[in-house]
Amino acid sequence: MNNTNIVSAAQTKFGALTGVTLREIFSEAVDKATIHAGIPKKDIQAAFIGSFIPEMLVHQGHTAPLLLDFAGLKGIPATRHEDACASGATALRAAIMAIESGLYDTVLVAGVEKMTSVSTSKVTEALAAAADDQFESSIGLTFPGVFAIAAVAHMQKYGTTEEDMALVAVKAHKNAATNPLAQFQKEITLEKAMTPRYVAWPLKLFDCSPISDGAAALVLTSNEKAKKYTDLPVKITGTGQASASMNLCDRSDLTSFSASVDASRQAYKMAGLKPKDMDFAVVHDCFTIAEIIASEDIGFFKPGEGAKAVRDGITALDGDKPINPMGGLKAVGHPVGATGVKQAVVIYRELIGDAGPNQVANHDTALMHNFGGTGATCVVNIMRRADL
Amino acid sequence: MSEKPTIEAYLKNIEEGHFKAYKCVDCGMIIAPPSGSCYGCGSSNMKWAEVSGKGKLVSFTVIHVAPDQFAEEAPYYVAIVELAEGTRVSARLLGFDPLKPEQVRLGINLKLDYEKGKSGATYLAFKPA
Repeated sequence: MNNTNIVSAAQTKFGALTGVTLREIFSEAVDKATIHAGIPKKDIQAAFIGSFIPEMLVHQGHTAPLLLDFAGLKGIPATRHEDACASGATALRAAIMAIESGLYDTVLVAGVEKMTSVSTSKVTEALAAAADDQFESSIGLTFPGVFAIAAVAHMQKYGTTEEDMALVAVKAHKNAATNPLAQFQKEITLEKAMTPRYVAWPLKLFDCSPISDGAAALVLTSNEKAKKYTDLPVKITGTGQASASMNLCDRSDLTSFSASVDASRQAYKMAGLKPKDMDFAVVHDCFTIAEIIASEDIGFFKPGEGAKAVRDGITALDGDKPINPMGGLKAVGHPVGATGVKQAVVIYRELIGDAGPNQVANHDTALMHNFGGTGATCVVNIMRRADL
Repeated sequence: MSEKPTIEAYLKNIEEGHFKAYKCVDCGMIIAPPSGSCYGCGSSNMKWAEVSGKGKLVSFTVIHVAPDQFAEEAPYYVAIVELAEGTRVSARLLGFDPLKPEQVRLGINLKLDYEKGKSGATYLAFKPA
């Protein structure tokens, strides 16, 4: 795979965006990634859109043409991709395949979710639709509960502690403090992160990502067209996707997510690179324990050593292997369908050296990891600056 | 016991306090919750199987913030239990104080039970053996 370039990337502010609707948030991200970046909308040949569950959150189905029409892209092929929290990354992967196949030169990838216009209990109900309704949600298992069960297994097997998880939250908030697009731009102390307000023991309030609105967008193009738009494209050199059982009880190991391991292996193999070649990563930290496990599943650390890496500052912005340098889902927010696209926006900005106070020191090659629901879908992409 | 198992019947069995698993006709693997194909051999040829009701605690959580339909029951335990027959199920865990989860040890022996929820539904549950 050698023909897909990101030439533009943008996100809206994430958070409770009052006074704007789904299509307006979407349109803002699209404008930022196209006309504001000097890319005429008429150059876009197709659109791949990630959105999880607008049917329940804003009572709107068949969103792809609706969103494109409002954003001034009426007429082109438009498809929505739904894979829970991985919707954005599966949309991106479809776009990658469309360019690599030669079908299109230039396409739009966008993700959007508007979650704060309904009650928290309605959001909880909508999110629960991403777990197995008949066998797990029906006994009262929640999403935080799923990751709490993984946390308990990780704590038992490797000695990971509640404080280790809290340190992930502290790092996320520290990085997000200098990210003006983040939902929470405020550092928190370890003591605050440890406040015993349990959501699903042992996970507490500060172990959980928030409910958010937001959108993100990318323009992808072929090698031939890339230089027309920017002097510094970012190439996607490896991509992987895998699935796993929805049910936790159908998994033999609760301390690792097999879809993450499988998708990572595919992406590394395709890129011809190894974990040691990655300068940093953006991973799916829907809960703090998810970042610790993901850092192991993508091969940055051995199984059971993810927590130590956080304690030792290795994953900090100025560490040897920064993870989520702009604040992750935990502090930037998690508008579900937008997240996978936003992760690629973060990698693009870091790789081209446009991350301001959140710039990582080494920024040649990086990995993004986006997973859906209980970890039943995972997409991993490896990206590299095209000038290397 | 001879009819082809269905998810509807599986859930009804739990509701009536008579849990049964699936069993692969071709390789004998015990499967629960239901799957359309055997994890061992891939066969989709299933029948019902009675289970011993013995299991071990694999992992658990205590749900404090629950969806509306379970809110009155919170805090409550949800566990992953490995049955003596080898398959794993998600179930409520009974017999422990939800405010003292530190006292629960992984690996302990459990036995099959049921819990009638305030919502009126009956949940698959386990309690210490």
